[in-house]
This record gives sequence, C-alpha cells and structure tokens, in this order.
Amino acid sequence: MIAASLNSAVGRAGLMLMLGASVFGALAVLYGIRKGDKKLLRQSPRYAWLALAGITLSVVMMQRALITRDFSMAYIQQVGSPDTPALYNFAAMWSALEGSILLWAFVLTGFTAAVAWRFRKRTDDVLVGWALIVMFVVTAFFAMVSFGPADPFSNGVAGFNPATAPGPNPLLQNHILVLFHPPILYLGFVGFTVPFAFAIAALVTGRLGEGWLLETRRWALFSWSFLTIGILLGGWWSYEVLGWGGVWAWDPVENASLLPWLTGTAYIHSVLVQERRGMLRVWNLSLLVATFSLTILGTFLTRSGVIESVHAFGDGPVGAWFLSFFGLIVVVSLGLIAWRGDRLRSPGSIDSPLSREGAFLANNVLFTVFAFVVLLGTLFPLLVEVLDDRRTIVGAPYFDRLSMPIGLMLLFLMAIAPVLPWRKASTELLRDRLFWPAWAGAGALVFSVAVGATGWAPLVAFALAGFAAGAAVRQIAIATRRQGWRGFVGRANGGMVVHIGVIMIAVALASSNSFTHATRLQLEQNVVQEWSGHTFELTSLTENTSQAGQSALEARVVLDGSKTIVPAITTYLNIGLDVPTPGVRTGLTNDVYLTLEQGSKPGDTSVSIQAFVRPMILWLWIGGLVMAVGTLLAAFPGNKRRRATDPVSAPIDTGRPDVQRPEGEQEPEPAGVSV
Amino acid sequence: MNDLNRRLKSWPSWVVLLIVVASVLAVGSTRSAGPQTQEERIDAVARRVACPVCNGESVFESRNRASRAIRNEITDLVRATEATDDQIIAGLENTYGADVLLVPKATGFDALIWVLPAVAFVLGVAGLAVAFRRWKLQADANVDPTDADRDLVAAALRDRDE
Repeated sequence: MIAASLNSAVGRAGLMLMLGASVFGALAVLYGIRKGDKKLLRQSPRYAWLALAGITLSVVMMQRALITRDFSMAYIQQVGSPDTPALYNFAAMWSALEGSILLWAFVLTGFTAAVAWRFRKRTDDVLVGWALIVMFVVTAFFAMVSFGPADPFSNGVAGFNPATAPGPNPLLQNHILVLFHPPILYLGFVGFTVPFAFAIAALVTGRLGEGWLLETRRWALFSWSFLTIGILLGGWWSYEVLGWGGVWAWDPVENASLLPWLTGTAYIHSVLVQERRGMLRVWNLSLLVATFSLTILGTFLTRSGVIESVHAFGDGPVGAWFLSFFGLIVVVSLGLIAWRGDRLRSPGSIDSPLSREGAFLANNVLFTVFAFVVLLGTLFPLLVEVLDDRRTIVGAPYFDRLSMPIGLMLLFLMAIAPVLPWRKASTELLRDRLFWPAWAGAGALVFSVAVGATGWAPLVAFALAGFAAGAAVRQIAIATRRQGWRGFVGRANGGMVVHIGVIMIAVALASSNSFTHATRLQLEQNVVQEWSGHTFELTSLTENTSQAGQSALEARVVLDGSKTIVPAITTYLNIGLDVPTPGVRTGLTNDVYLTLEQGSKPGDTSVSIQAFVRPMILWLWIGGLVMAVGTLLAAFPGNKRRRATDPVSAPIDTGRPDVQRPEGEQEPEPAGVSV
Repeated sequence: MNDLNRRLKSWPSWVVLLIVVASVLAVGSTRSAGPQTQEERIDAVARRVACPVCNGESVFESRNRASRAIRNEITDLVRATEATDDQIIAGLENTYGADVLLVPKATGFDALIWVLPAVAFVLGVAGLAVAFRRWKLQADANVDPTDADRDLVAAALRDRDE
C-alpha cells in the first residue's frame, strides 16, 4: 500500500511540476517581453527543463506502477495484469485514454525543451519568446487535461482482485509494433506544434517575412516524416494483427491521423513557394493552423466518444476540453491572421499556371480537397444525427471511391511538377523534359498489361506511377551527374527520393486493392490443396498454453511445400475474448495471408481457413522506408542556391510605404540557417 | 546526337506514345479479369455492409457473431440464388434497416456527402483560375525591369557574395 501511494503521489507531483513550470514559463516570458527584460527572457529555457523534469518523473512513476503491478491505481486496474509480458506491459502505458495523454504530454514537453535548447542563444529574441509562450500554453493545456479529467494517477476501487485484472486490450499485446506505432505517430502529431508556435509568434510580433518559416522548416519536415512513418506502421500493425487482410479501413481514428498528414503535406510543398517567392503567406499560415488544429480535433473525435470507431477510447469530460481548446486555437489563429491581414499581403505574382509555383498550387488544391473529403466523411454521421436524427455510417467504400480520382490526379502532378521550372514553362521545354518520363509511364503500362493486370483504374495508376517515377529519376540523374553524391541531398533531390517512396506505396495500394484474391479453404490434414498458384497442406492443429493467461489454437499450414505458416486464434482467458492472429508469408510480388476461422478444436483433422493472396504489400513498407530516407536527405543542406531573401528584379510593391522594402531587410537574418 | 535527340522528342514521337498508351490501355481495361470466385463476390458484398453491433466496421472486417450471421446470409444468397449484388444489399437493408449500408445513398440529405466534395473541387479550381487571372493582370500592369534595375540587383548580389 505504501508503494501504491508513492507511485500516484510522486506521479501527480510530477504533473504538478509540469503544469506549474509551463504556466509560470508562459507568464515569465510574456512579462519579460512586455518589460523588455532580457535577463528574464534568458531564463525561459529553465522553465522548459523543469516541465520536462516533471513529466519525466510522472512517466517514470507510471512505468514503475506498471512494473510493480500497483493495483491501487485505477489505471493499472484497467490496463495492468500479472500475466502481461514485460514489453507489452511497458507499452500498456499508452493503451488507454489517460496514459495516451500522458505520453502525448511527455512528447510535447520534450519538443518544448528541444525548442528551448535549439534557440537557447536567442531567447531574448521576441519571436522566439512568443513561440515559447505558445509552446508553454499548449503544454499547460495537456498538463491540465492530465491533471484533471484524464488523471492517470487516480485511485482505483478498493478490494480489487489482481487475478481478474484484464491487462491491455488483447489487440494491443500481440504484436511488437504496438511499441513503436503510437510514440512515432505522436512525435508527428506533436511536432507540428513547433511550426505552429512560430507561426503564431510571427503573427503576434508582425515579423511575417520568411524568417520564422526557415527556422521551422526542418521541424515541420521531421514531424511530417514521423507522421508518415507512424501512419504506415499503423497500417502494418492492422495488417499483421486484425486478420481481415487489409492495411487501411478508413476508420475515424485512422482518418484523424490522415487529416493533419494531408494538410501537412500541402504545407511542406506550398512553403517552398513562400521561401522562394515570398508569396502565399496567408495560405501557409492557414495550412499550419489547420494541421495543428486538426491534430487536436482528431484527439477530440477519438477520445470523446462522439464518433464510433473500433479504436476510439474513452468518453466523458476530456472531449469537452479538447473541443474548447480546438475552438480557442481556431478563433485565436484566425483572429491574428485577420488582424495582420495588411502585412500578409504578398508582393509579386505568379506568372503562369504552367510553372513550379502553379504545380504547387494545384497540389495544394488537391490535398485540401482530399482533406475536406476525409473530414466530411468522418463527420457526416455526426451531422446526420444532429440535423436529421438518424444513424448512418460512412464506410470505406465511400472513401475509396473518392480518393481514387484524387490519387490519380496527384500522381499526374507528381509526374509533371518536378520538370517544371519556376516562373514559366514553354511547351517545347515540357516536350523535351517529359519525353523519357512519359515513355517510362508507357513502359510501366505495357509491363502491367503483359503481366496480366486489368481494369482501367489500376492501369492508369500504374502508367502514371511510371511517369512520375521517370520524372523523379530524371531529376536525381541530372543532379548526380552534375554534383556526384550531393545530387541525392537537398530539398529538391531528397524530395524526389520521397516521391519514389510515395510511388511505390501508390503502386502497392493500387495493386493490392484491385488484385487481391480471397477464398475459404477447407483443409484436411496431410492433404495438399491448390489455390491461386499456391499449395496448402495442414499438418497439425494444436493448442498452445505456454503464455500465461492465454490459450492459442494454432494451425500449421505448409505453404508451397516449404514454408510453414501458423494462423492462430488466441483466447484471452481473463476477458474471455478470442482474437485471431493471421499467419502471413511475405514475398516480393505477393503475400499469402491466412486467418483461422472460428469453430475448430485442437486435434481436428479438418480446418476452415480464410485465405488471401495480396500482391505487392511488401512495397508499402519499402516505400515507407524510402520516404523516411528521402526526408532525411531533404533535410540535409543542399547546394547553395539563391535564397528567398535575395534581391530579385521583380518589383516589390505592397502598396504600403512602411513595408516597402526588399524582402531581406524586413527582419534580421535568422542565425544558423543556411538552406 | 543532339540533333537526333531533338528529332526524337518532336511531335510525331509523342503521337506514337499516345497511340501506344491508348491502345494498350484499351486492351488491358477491356479484357476479362478472369471469373470472380463466389468467395470474392461474397467479400465484395460484405465490404459494403456495416456490422450492426460494432463501431463502423464492415461485415467483411469484423469477426463477431452478428457479422458472421449476415455473412452467412450473403453466402446463402450468392450460392443459392441469382440475386445481383445490389439486390442482396437491398434485401439486407429491408431486414436490418438503412444503417447497415456503408455507402451513403445519393438521394435526400445523404446526397450532400457526394455533392460537397465536387463543389469543393470546383471552388478550388475556380479559385486558382481567378487568382491566376488577377496575377496576370497585375503582371501586365508592371513594366519589365530596366537595365538600371538589373544593375541594382547585380550589385546587391555581388555585395552578398563578398
């Protein structure tokens, strides 16, 4: 009992420290800025260290409570169990509402501290000061949520019997990815707080040149990358665990993670136009605000119980907190943008739709419409319930149908955009530069038809994928011929590597969605059956009780006479729940995916198995890896080029005498940025 | 070589490319995908039907008893009757109510979910068109940079590089 009170008491104390440090940090920096007190401003990183120390203490105490199975705490009663293996017990921290908020707060405070450290020499700069205030306010919000409505350290019911403890949701304790998927996804979600904070700081201080943008370029890029990897890991986890053979179900929670990714992707493209040409300022700010507020909205949707979802957790007061915070963010941001409207008017103009800028704008229209579709589909059941008072469901077929044309248009854009020069392109230039990429597309099409692909949609997708890959390879080939290995690094070249990863994923999705074969196999012991080019032989059906608290029915199926795969149904004895675990044989061109049907007993000589042959699935994960590598390459400084802040011949006329200056003089050159 | 390259990339080769793509696409998209197995048909229908007791999953994905019952019903209808996919789904809607449909209808209030994305797309494209038009007018109003302008830029760039 003493240990119990220690865990929750010290854990709460840690949260209190985080809350106090964030609130005082925000107030101190605000006061320092108002009074021009540089000494006070220079102390601001200390509040970030204190907040980080506080939340670290809480996380350590939560882990201690999990490890020691401290059943006096409500959260441990909910997710703890004496039987959970150590690794999943570690991950149990984020397997329910309160702990997931705790993890979020931990990552967020880590980012705040990272910002404080990165800009420690410039804390007396007002822009950095305001950015820190925003970070502190967001941190304080999460500390309050964790301290109030989603308290992970609250006391459990008395007289709890540990033998009946359920442990984490069974789906969250049978695959190693549960260790990586949530933290990496959170790194992505939370990371966008940093560019958002700098955007707000730029609005407040009125320093709306490109300085804040350059400061946060890498932060945005890395957050985007983590979000990408997190989403893909989620798909992988779903594929390996859920047993229906798919990677993406357009579930509201999945959509909640896709929404900020879509607006974030739009942002990291259109931001290049602003860096290069100083244009689209309002638009880029809006995209950042949208990205950040969509992460909060997503958190609201998935944690308030307003939307039905397989992995929505919890309902109750947390929802109201997140909804209010979402409202606050939107109102404050839009208010600031309106207030600074006059300074946000961009000088210059975009000459031609047929230019790099034009392509980025088209990209933005497509990504924004995509985000709108996903948001609409996710919220529509809610709208119908409120306005029409009936229940409706918007399922995967709706999203599939609408995302297909958008995806094809994006592929087309990916083919054209990389060869377009800034400002203006002629048809002659396009004819010249697009020639080989276009033939690459034709080659891809011929190849797909030759290997038996059918249907216009996947064929168009493959042709466009070849086209886009041709354009990306062309850019890298030209760059490496000119600059050797440096032709792979830098924004444009690394970006092309990312594009190649995206193309792999697009091809994998198009082929696995269009050419999956499925059937139900009735396998007899030691009888070889053939289906879809593979042979299957059941060798045994046995019960495995080696894991405490579980009993698994395992079928051993020999595939193609060589490899044994083991689809299973695991019964979690404490909960009385059966969870099927698929057996998967992964290959370069196709996966064989087997799920055991319910109703068999150990020792049966016949078993019913749901079998899928899904083409190209492996390329989803390879594509994800290529995207991650490409992002790293893009974050490296490329070759020196003209900066946005360099003088150009284009006349700059904002119509206001007080801001009529060349770009570079609007604010001090950001230190340490050489991109 | 350069000349060859230029001639290769001239319009006639693009026409050839277009013909190749169009004909291969026509062949590929019209030929039969092979017979659909009954299981695949059952899956295709099951993907369009919501599990009545769980949260937004389709009958195809979810593994609980209610979903299995509906799946068996679909299986029987596919195996034993001549009903088309749409007829099977209409039948299920009669039995279980409209909230087993995973794809919203295109009539009444639900039509909004189909109309609004199209509206958003049209607005986006129209917005771009208007913006480009405005930019063009603005650019036309500005004269080309003079030699003095160019000298100024060159001097400023020189200063920076030193």
